[in-house]
Amino acid sequence: MIETSILSSLSKINEKYQMFRTITSDTEAGDAEFLFSAKDNLTSKDMETCSGSKILEGYRPPFDATSIARMRGAGGLLVGKTNMDEFGFGTFSTNSAFGVPRNPYDPERSCGGSSGGAACAAAVMDGHVAIGVSTGGSICCPASFCGVYGIVPTYGRVSRYGLLDYGNSLDKIGIISAKASDLGKYVNIMAGADPRDPTSCMQPDMGARRKLKSVAVPKDATEGVSEDVRMAFTDGLETLESLGVDVDTVEMPSLKYAIPAYYVIATSEASTNLARYCGMRYGHQKGDLSLKFDDYFTSFRSQYFGQEAKRRILLGTFTRMVGFRDRYYSKARMVRQSIIGEYRSVLRECDAVLTPTMPFVSPKFSDISKMTPLESYKADILTGPPNIAGMPHASVPCGYDRNGMPIGMQLVADQWDEGVLFSAAEEWEKTFESVRPEVSI
Amino acid sequence: MKIGLEIHVQLPTKSKLFCPCPTTDAPAPNTHVCPVCLGFPGARPMMNRKAIEYGILLAKMLGCTIRDTTWFARKIYFYPDNAKNFQITQYDRPLGEKGMYYLNGKKPIRITRIHIEEDPGKIKRVGDLSSLVDYNRSGVPLAEIVTEPDLSTPAEAREFLGQLIRDIRHTIDIPDDGERSIRCDCNISVGIERCEVKNVTGLKNVERALTYELVRQTKLLKAGGKVVRETRRFDEERGVTISVRKKEMEADYGYIDEPDLGIFNVKELTERLKIGESPQNMILRLSKEYGIDEKTAKQFVSTSVELAHLFEELAAATDTETARTWTSGAVSAGWKSFEARGGGDAAEVVSLIGKFKAGEITDTECNIRIRAFLTGTDVDEVRSGSADLDSIISEYLDVNPSVIEDYRKNERAANRVIGHVMKRTGGACSSAEIVDATKRLIEERL
Ligand SMILES: [Zn+2]
Repeated sequence: MIETSILSSLSKINEKYQMFRTITSDTEAGDAEFLFSAKDNLTSKDMETCSGSKILEGYRPPFDATSIARMRGAGGLLVGKTNMDEFGFGTFSTNSAFGVPRNPYDPERSCGGSSGGAACAAAVMDGHVAIGVSTGGSICCPASFCGVYGIVPTYGRVSRYGLLDYGNSLDKIGIISAKASDLGKYVNIMAGADPRDPTSCMQPDMGARRKLKSVAVPKDATEGVSEDVRMAFTDGLETLESLGVDVDTVEMPSLKYAIPAYYVIATSEASTNLARYCGMRYGHQKGDLSLKFDDYFTSFRSQYFGQEAKRRILLGTFTRMVGFRDRYYSKARMVRQSIIGEYRSVLRECDAVLTPTMPFVSPKFSDISKMTPLESYKADILTGPPNIAGMPHASVPCGYDRNGMPIGMQLVADQWDEGVLFSAAEEWEKTFESVRPEVSI
Repeated sequence: MKIGLEIHVQLPTKSKLFCPCPTTDAPAPNTHVCPVCLGFPGARPMMNRKAIEYGILLAKMLGCTIRDTTWFARKIYFYPDNAKNFQITQYDRPLGEKGMYYLNGKKPIRITRIHIEEDPGKIKRVGDLSSLVDYNRSGVPLAEIVTEPDLSTPAEAREFLGQLIRDIRHTIDIPDDGERSIRCDCNISVGIERCEVKNVTGLKNVERALTYELVRQTKLLKAGGKVVRETRRFDEERGVTISVRKKEMEADYGYIDEPDLGIFNVKELTERLKIGESPQNMILRLSKEYGIDEKTAKQFVSTSVELAHLFEELAAATDTETARTWTSGAVSAGWKSFEARGGGDAAEVVSLIGKFKAGEITDTECNIRIRAFLTGTDVDEVRSGSADLDSIISEYLDVNPSVIEDYRKNERAANRVIGHVMKRTGGACSSAEIVDATKRLIEERL
């Protein structure tokens, strides 16, 4: 039997942390073997799916995302859809149309984003497994801010059928949990070819688990990161060395181009993906039908898209336009290729590339509101590179700052080599003592 | 005057381009639809490989360069029939490029490109204020063939389109379901600037629309006006074109590569797929190789490419003249019925005509037996029917000997006999049979 008492207190928990957009009305787990949640950009037949956007309010998809269907098939009960930045556009989950999830270590701080609700649920609820989605850092960032484990498998490992697209060539579905062994367990359940997502059909079998023996640390990995993060990361490195892991320093000069290239590719693709939301066919449809169709679309999109969604549509539309396409979109894709090349050559020599996950601990909401868009984009500096390269990566908790806010470090492995990340996280969990947040309901 | 065409042909796949929905006629609007072709969030395209095969066959038929890899792109524009508000088409790397089509086997018409794309849904206007959208057509595979502006008159454009469509039908085996399944965007310039008339359906309308534009642009220029680059629409009922909007440049669509489909390596497929001779080329070759006139060659090929093949077999087994006479006569007369029953091996026909040539059977007997074989009728039944038919014709010729004289001057004189016999037999014999028998009996008396 699984612990189901949590089901009856879900709405109370949610009142406090706002990690869910929708919660199940089930109070009994029936014959379910585990409870899980899914980020609100994954379609679910029995629950509204909004992707954090007003424009989809009330939308009940006619089908389950493959990842959700496979979790259900393995005995999982979907307990809710987790809150997120609108369409994944953000680093702090402050861009949701449906409230902002609160960090379990300090409710005045962010859970990270865009899978903020997922990391919060994993940190607060015992034995909870959260499906997250990462485009440019949206799993590792919140995992790090909420002091839990997060894994992003190789691009194409988990079918994206039923995922509301942000950037199709970047989106990856993964797992966030307080328990390291959940990473391998549940990625294995969701992974595997699915004809309804052709990009999932090229994958080799999941590689064997193997012990982490060596890591490479890029020379400028801690450049620009906060003192607290630098110290926790250095401690982490020492612990690894004491466990017999070789640590090497390497030059990876192209990683610094990941962020600009990422934002060009992601917004170009996003601006086409979001074209379909126009108040027709699904979601919100209560517009002024006396308008001409293009005026109707415009009024609808102006009214229901959030500020950040509009910003990214504009950015992406600009980078796709003739005259700019080669300068931005085509060039960004070349940058992606050289980053992949750089990772692969480093990973021929060692098992993983190691960096801190985020350059700082979770900021206070009052500080976030003062950030310019560019400043918040820059927070993805360390999570951007593996995401644009489509490499599997994981964030593990590695320390706490003086206020007790969690800090994470990020391991990046070679394509399809999730096995080394699964066992590295499990080994790490044996030596690293997590400090669970105090949850009172 | 310069005319270039963009021709859209629906490919005869059983299911749509990116989803398993059927492409057949639907019982009601929005019944052949699914999350993919409705553009629902989270659904994504799955490639129908048969469509790529058809595309490659057409690219080969048009003599296009087919590169080893091909991929798809998103063309973004907002329109209610466009389920995702972007259309999945091809941009940077179409299936085929730089081809050539020889109009009447002579005039070269350059083919810019051929690519595959999805058809949008259909909009039905209801009253003045509202429209309904039917997505049954959304996602049906299309091949778009783009020509250079190498056509010089509306009539030539129509002729080109007719030949091209016949060749396309033969190459990818599209049933002849009328002209309506062909949609065409016509670019025409009399002076420097060109106009595009969008979405014209059928050969006749293409010629009408172009002729209207020719007159309109000529008048405009003569009056010292300027043609503006724009998109126009053809009103079939009134026979006029109407300005719709200023023409967007292709690049304004903000194309990006379709990230959900990836890159297709078509090298092996391209090597494996072979195309036969196109009907148009066959007409030209038959006429040249056998010295028969183009009209006869066209008659054979239009009836059926298989009939034309049989003509070649006969010519090899006997001689060209024998082959031509029998193919135009008894064989043509029974061919439709033969194919309607499933067609197949017609070696019996070659052997019968061989026997006639060798003097083993008379031409009348040969005729009867060919007819019996092709129509699947008992020989004796054909013989008595044919005897009846022959005697009706002979009787008429006996009474009206002038027909023979007239026929010497003009073959149309036979029509008098045919009309009479048709009435007399009242549908008991096929018109092809009557025509054949009449000509045979008149020629016996010449
Ligand atoms: Zn469909």
